[in-house]
Amino acid sequence: MTGALSQLAGNADAILGMIPRWSYRPRAVAEASEALRETHLEQMRVAFVGGGTQISLGAPPQALDAVIHTDGLSRLVEYAPSDLVITVEAGMTLSQLQTAAAQHHQRLALDPPRPELATLGGIIATNAFGPRRTQFGSVRDLLIGITLILADGTVAKGGGKVVKNVAGFDLPKVLCGSLGTLAMIATATFRLHPLPEASATSVIAARTGSQSWSIVQAIKAAQLEPSSIAAVWTRGLWNVGVRFEGFRAGVAQQTARLREIAAKIGFSTETLQDTQADGFWAQEGAWINGRLRLKIASLPSEIQRPDLLDPVLALLHGATSTWYPTLGIAIVSGVPAEAESLSRAVLDLRSKLVAEGGSLVLIDAPVEVRREIDVWGPKPPSFALMERLKARFDPGRRLNPGRFVGGL
Amino acid sequence: MTSDHPPVSDQVRARFASIVGAGNCITEDGELRTYECDGLTSFRVRPKVVVLPGSPREVSEVVKMAVAEGLPIVPRGAGTGLSGGALPSEGSVVIGLARMKRVVEVDLENSWIRVEPGVINLEVSKRLAPDGYYYAPDPSSQSVCTIGGNVAENSGGAHCLKYGFTVNHVLGLKMVIGTGEELEIGGPVLDSPGYDLLAAVVGSEGTLGIVTEVVLRILRKPESTQTFFATFPSTDEAGAAVSGIIAAKILPAAIEMMDRLAIAAIKAATHVDWPDVGAALLMDVDGPAAEVEHTASQAIAVAVAAGAIEVRRPRDEAERMTMWRGRKGAFAAMGRISPNYIVQDGVIPRSEIARVLKEIELLTQKAGLRVANVFHAGDGNLHPLVLYDAAVHGQERQAKDLGGEILRICIRAGGSITGEHGVGADKAPYMAEMFSEADLTAMNLLRCAFDPKGTFNPGKVFPTPRLCGDQRGKYLPHALEISGEAGRG
Repeated sequence: MTGALSQLAGNADAILGMIPRWSYRPRAVAEASEALRETHLEQMRVAFVGGGTQISLGAPPQALDAVIHTDGLSRLVEYAPSDLVITVEAGMTLSQLQTAAAQHHQRLALDPPRPELATLGGIIATNAFGPRRTQFGSVRDLLIGITLILADGTVAKGGGKVVKNVAGFDLPKVLCGSLGTLAMIATATFRLHPLPEASATSVIAARTGSQSWSIVQAIKAAQLEPSSIAAVWTRGLWNVGVRFEGFRAGVAQQTARLREIAAKIGFSTETLQDTQADGFWAQEGAWINGRLRLKIASLPSEIQRPDLLDPVLALLHGATSTWYPTLGIAIVSGVPAEAESLSRAVLDLRSKLVAEGGSLVLIDAPVEVRREIDVWGPKPPSFALMERLKARFDPGRRLNPGRFVGGL
Repeated sequence: MTSDHPPVSDQVRARFASIVGAGNCITEDGELRTYECDGLTSFRVRPKVVVLPGSPREVSEVVKMAVAEGLPIVPRGAGTGLSGGALPSEGSVVIGLARMKRVVEVDLENSWIRVEPGVINLEVSKRLAPDGYYYAPDPSSQSVCTIGGNVAENSGGAHCLKYGFTVNHVLGLKMVIGTGEELEIGGPVLDSPGYDLLAAVVGSEGTLGIVTEVVLRILRKPESTQTFFATFPSTDEAGAAVSGIIAAKILPAAIEMMDRLAIAAIKAATHVDWPDVGAALLMDVDGPAAEVEHTASQAIAVAVAAGAIEVRRPRDEAERMTMWRGRKGAFAAMGRISPNYIVQDGVIPRSEIARVLKEIELLTQKAGLRVANVFHAGDGNLHPLVLYDAAVHGQERQAKDLGGEILRICIRAGGSITGEHGVGADKAPYMAEMFSEADLTAMNLLRCAFDPKGTFNPGKVFPTPRLCGDQRGKYLPHALEISGEAGRG
């Protein structure tokens, strides 16, 4: 039987339709450790839930006895503005962290969708990212320390609170994208960056993917350093958004250079007002339930190939593709017109991507599509090692069982 | 430390030789001596045999053979490491990757390069320079150290303040683990589904397996780079300048600090014409031209306000290179002012620099030794060089003790025992002071997933030997269960 820490769970605790028996809401790291100790003793299968923004990512759980919510773990643990380092509990939302950092004119250079809901623990577990990954990298590049709670309730630390540190194995990075299958993330320490003095977003309209790619290549050739680049496809048109951030003089010069470079290869550039710019960069975050959302990864130069995405885009109502060209990652979303033919097109796209070392992941999909397509695709070449890693961290296979790649 | 392990039998030697060729299998005592230490020369162990494979397949065969013979394996790049990471374990086979030095593939359009582990760090940037690209991590040993060694140590360098470490630039790799399995992890395409095994391997100091191929991210050269050299009465003012520059929202590519003794050594060893001052900063700002123009002038203003005596800008690229060669040759330059030295690699929060330097100075005076400081000030990565004379009885011991005390200061300040040199054999004893038993046990889970038999580089990183035990893990009953108050299931 469970103790005073848990409550009977309800519909609000469901993960992809599966309702657990118990629900935990620890309010401190020690309580979370106790909760895991309890679930360990009871041999319960457990999932961790932050803001729930990525709860649809992954296969349905194989089994689920308890959910541990992290919203009670939302304290600022330590913030040293002069060192540009912050430690927070994992249930803090990204917006809360940014508000605290902004008081010292700093920010975490991470901008995944829905920051008002997304928690830092969830962002780490799902490797969530946004347009600024172009310049600042993903969460693994900004996370420098972590407190974990292992499957048996043991609290362990990895990394530290200095940016440069190679003492011991890099547990913080190993937890990035592990989808709650290795351990619970209790606190996280990040490297911060100064808030830029200025920011400017320009948009260049292109007719094709290869035109968009040529704009990106021209930016690179000219040694411009945008903080974000995204090529957004809607209704057959491409809008290449380019954002520069930094000191006023630098942003102005780079924006002017971009205009020149684009003009030279035959494109006109529109510089957006601040509110328009915010709207442009938030497009990927526009969230509608029931939509299909795919994450596509390939060599950057490959996604521009018109034949690649077109068959899938053609079968979606309200289709949008947000392509981060320097990363080689695109998020495609829309409402499937008809599940069966769409599933065929998606599988076909996946096999093309995988053949060239890429991948296709269903971030979210209607049930009819999930029935036809595995969320993660084929097992990666090092899957046997991943299984061994899982077995070491979670020998009872009780943490988020079955949701990750190959049923991990 | 010396080893009295006999070399391998003729039979074992013949088996290794049948894989790599007789010329690439070293058992002669004199030749083995070359491999008995790395850049940390105070630790020496003669290996049983050194094998130099020429291909991933040969690496795999050699690993299988070593495992069958029960020999521990120590991977080795160029042997420039400063923590004894490539120090042979007792009775080990050293696998040297120096022969595997091909650049396999370059893809400028998608910004990556695929190389074998024996490729020299600087050769990557040289190869890319004509096309305007480079590889960012730049350890001071970059003209001799290998990419494989960089991956093992998660090497940094002066410019990692802005650009990050090796782990931020490795996109994929191939490796051989203790079973002889050849694994492929990551690749030129980002976000391959599954665990981030790359993060486990980069910086694992040769304890998880041997890397046989690496895919690196490459960067377009910045449009503009400005360098300046500022002198200060003491490290106090120089430290204040560093804090001021960071507070002014400037992210320099590099800010290096040198104290009086380090400047004296560098002057004695190289052609720089630096004045005799209490401290100096060498700084690079890079990026788009207008951004650099602004940040450089801001940074200089901050340095002057903090008490800079003089700020110099190099007249041309040649002078800039001379300045940087002076800084990068700092460790070697110590030979001009001291017969021996120990280099430490502790990290502290940047805001603690001035205070910690004072604390080190006090300890140094008490020990009757000298410490030269040359370090990556932007990220608080100290490199105190403890100077001593091994010919003076007891001084080496004193120097090692002082080095240890400096690490403890770093731990107490909330920092780390190593910022880029690795734990290796040298700092393994201090791991238990920085991490709890539970932390080390969690790290060991990672090692056990890759190398349950502990074949690779035993005795490194962890303070005490750790076994992996049963894969399923031992069930530990809770106190309540033992007392009968709670049951299982």
